[in-house]
Amino acid sequence: MQNKTMMVCRCEEVSFDELVKTASEYNCSARELKLRTRAGMGYCGGRTCRTMVDQIAHIYQPRSNNDISLKYQAPIRPVRFADLGEVKS
Amino acid sequence: MGNKVIIIGAGPAGLSAAITLAEKNIGVVVIDEYLYEGGRLLGQLYEETPNKWWNGIAESERLLARAKELNVEFSLQTSVSDLEKIDQDWVLHTNKGVFHTKQLLLATGAAESPFPIPGWTLPGVMSVGAAQVMTNVHRVKPGKRGVIIGVNVLSSAIAMELQIADVQVAAITLPAANLLTINSSNPLEVMNSLLYVSHMAPSPLIKIGSKFMKNEILKKLGIRFYPKDGVKMWGIPIMLRKAVIEIVGKDQVEGVVLATVNIDGSIVPGSEKRIDVDFVCIAGGLYPLAELASLAGCPFHYIEQLGGFVPLHNEQMETNLTGLHVAGNITGIEGAKVALAQGKVAALTIASKLGASVTQIDIQQAIENVETTRANAHIQFHPEVLVGRQKMKEIWAQTLSHTLS
Ligand SMILES: Cc1cc2nc3c(=O)[nH]c(=O)nc-3n(C[C@H](O)[C@H](O)[C@H](O)COP(=O)(O)OP(=O)(O)OC[C@H]3O[C@@H](n4cnc5c(N)ncnc54)[C@H](O)[C@@H]3O)c2cc1C
Repeated sequence: MQNKTMMVCRCEEVSFDELVKTASEYNCSARELKLRTRAGMGYCGGRTCRTMVDQIAHIYQPRSNNDISLKYQAPIRPVRFADLGEVKS
Repeated sequence: MGNKVIIIGAGPAGLSAAITLAEKNIGVVVIDEYLYEGGRLLGQLYEETPNKWWNGIAESERLLARAKELNVEFSLQTSVSDLEKIDQDWVLHTNKGVFHTKQLLLATGAAESPFPIPGWTLPGVMSVGAAQVMTNVHRVKPGKRGVIIGVNVLSSAIAMELQIADVQVAAITLPAANLLTINSSNPLEVMNSLLYVSHMAPSPLIKIGSKFMKNEILKKLGIRFYPKDGVKMWGIPIMLRKAVIEIVGKDQVEGVVLATVNIDGSIVPGSEKRIDVDFVCIAGGLYPLAELASLAGCPFHYIEQLGGFVPLHNEQMETNLTGLHVAGNITGIEGAKVALAQGKVAALTIASKLGASVTQIDIQQAIENVETTRANAHIQFHPEVLVGRQKMKEIWAQTLSHTLS
């Protein structure tokens, strides 16, 4: 098995190779890497791959130490539709 | 409810804060998404010094009994998915409804960061913490015989716990080198990091090693002549000269391919060998779980010695947002005893704001207690945690002088 099929983001099926290729080509921020590849944008909200996506981006672009590079968005846990806006009759 | 302090996280930091507040007659609600109180304490079981065990379950039972005696309220299986400030109130959105409070403590602990290995998405591969929870909390064996990838304090502690539970650990070994395993795949780097945990390792290797290996040349020699089949600790081979290059199996884990590595982490061609295991643990380290602080709008700083991004806070455990406090591993990765001590500081800070009889000296003493606990800690996740703590102190001081000027 090669790195090509070594998944980093399982939800969006983004491989290690794709992330490294994109990061090295664009020397982009972690956020841009996420947007370009969709890594971390699946249903788990990036809970598994966040640190890896962040780390890959920062191999090619030095870290600015003063802000979370991949923003957290609410809801940070899976939420039932009913809890969001169930209309009780 | 709005007059009670809310604590998110029923780990050691949250529980000790709850007890301290309740002892000052302040109402407390502790929210946690797990089935039980105790946080990561529930998984911990290891020998600190010969015949002296740290039993996290017993520890959490003791804390819980005290908290219940003081009428601390608990809301378990309650996940906080969002938080916002509306007027003077922190408003928490959970699967059990909306909570309001003026004084909020985030004690959400830490999470594990994985690294990828070819084949790591097969069923049967898990984080080392997952194996710990299965074994020690749910009493379910993760498998019959496994391999742990990643040699560090956490993996060696959990390997021993697995062994006590009669789960065989075939080896603790390095991951194959790739861009995401740079430090954890280099034998010399790993050896270096192990030298700092010498006081906790009952391993002759690490104990002997730490004596002469402060010397760079000896260190290189040590790793060069490190036995390829590893040195045994509690009967488990710790392999600093082998790496897992692939996890194999058809529908689930059936084995791993191990290869010998040079001292720079590169693979010795032709040295690949397959061993059979039915589960694999990945031990990639911990980082502060600070999602809620981020949603709240806290500024963050990346401090490697503390495990990653941490919310800006001071020694009194205040953030720069009114009514928002932090304690425990959310402020940096350390052992449970430090978390307990930090919880107390946060609680005293909150209590003093609420007009309870708390003096500045009380708070100062609690802060000093955090420092002595840290100095005597048996488990240390980063050898330079003190440097990290110092950095945060400086950043806080700078930020403060900015806002004042
Ligand atoms: C896998 C693993 C193994 C460890 N092993 C050891 C060890 O052997 N020895 C040691 O000293 N330290 C160990 N640690 C470090 C451990 O983090 C500390 O010992 C200590 O438990 C930290 O205490 P805490 O109170 O900060 O957080 P925790 O004990 O982690 O408690 C945090 C609690 O917050 C809850 N929570 C988090 N987010 C939310 C949310 N959004 N909504 C509701 N509830 C939430 C969690 O369910 C959890 O119960 C380990 C950590 C991990 C992750």
